[in-house]
Amino acid sequence: MNEKTVAGLQCSEVLALLSEYLDHELDSAMVERVEGHLLGCPNCERFGRSFGSMVVSLRRDSIASESVDSELVMRLLTQIDRLTTEA
Amino acid sequence: MGWCGALGDRTGRKLSSLSALRNLHMLDRQKSDGSISDRDLMVQVAAGDRRAFEQLARRHAAAILRLTRAVTGQAATAEDALQQTLLSVYQSASAFRAESSVRTWMLTIARNAAYRIRAKSDRQSLVEERLMELGLGAGWGSGDPETIALAAERKDTLLRALSTLSVQDQEALILRDIEGLQASEAAALLGIGERALKSRLHRARLRLAAALRRESEMSASAQEGPQL
Repeated sequence: MNEKTVAGLQCSEVLALLSEYLDHELDSAMVERVEGHLLGCPNCERFGRSFGSMVVSLRRDSIASESVDSELVMRLLTQIDRLTTEA
Repeated sequence: MGWCGALGDRTGRKLSSLSALRNLHMLDRQKSDGSISDRDLMVQVAAGDRRAFEQLARRHAAAILRLTRAVTGQAATAEDALQQTLLSVYQSASAFRAESSVRTWMLTIARNAAYRIRAKSDRQSLVEERLMELGLGAGWGSGDPETIALAAERKDTLLRALSTLSVQDQEALILRDIEGLQASEAAALLGIGERALKSRLHRARLRLAAALRRESEMSASAQEGPQL
């Protein structure tokens, strides 16, 4: 990786800031610097975009909304009923 | 075209711009489908309503199981932790003080249950790798950084890559990126500061990217078949 300094930031600094950039945790001045770097550094821009796509994929509904086997829940609830009755 | 513009990958498809992803990533996934809220269900559970408890259990069982499986590493012990969690919720519903969301409260109980099951001596040590090394493993500076985005589009590949990470990495990714907890909620649940959580999350994402590259390479090798 050839380190470049663009918009006052080195590539390694942008790498360190990528998650905070994605998560809207940087102040506006730093967002401007990161975006300025990305504008002038195709390597960081390509990696950042792929990294961001990966994070969005984790958030897709198909993972978060996966349901648990209904029989498992019923079995556990039955066991809990037994445990709380015995107590 | 600047950095916001779409850039084609090797397959000719277009990946979204990073700024668009940044906004998409922050969309509130909380659904307002008109169903009864968790807090109202908790009030009913505290009053001994068995059906409300069943509804609450069904609503959160998958999220709890994802987290407990990450901690214990086994489906069977993860189910034990789920059962202990549901039992605790049922028995202590009246003690819920609404200082956090019901989901965060249940996930906290679940995590504690999972760690109790897992022998403490078995905990993996946190090895701090240099960020640049993690970046290089993830494809930073490589000729094909799009590999991680393409591999992540396949749900089974993504979940397989996730399962290869350390417990600490999986917890950070599950709580923040899959369950969508706020940084403050996730940090409190894990018992660490927000700054430490952010660092852990970033490193976990880079390790996930590296795992996706490995999955992608293995898949390509398998398709090529054995060399004769």
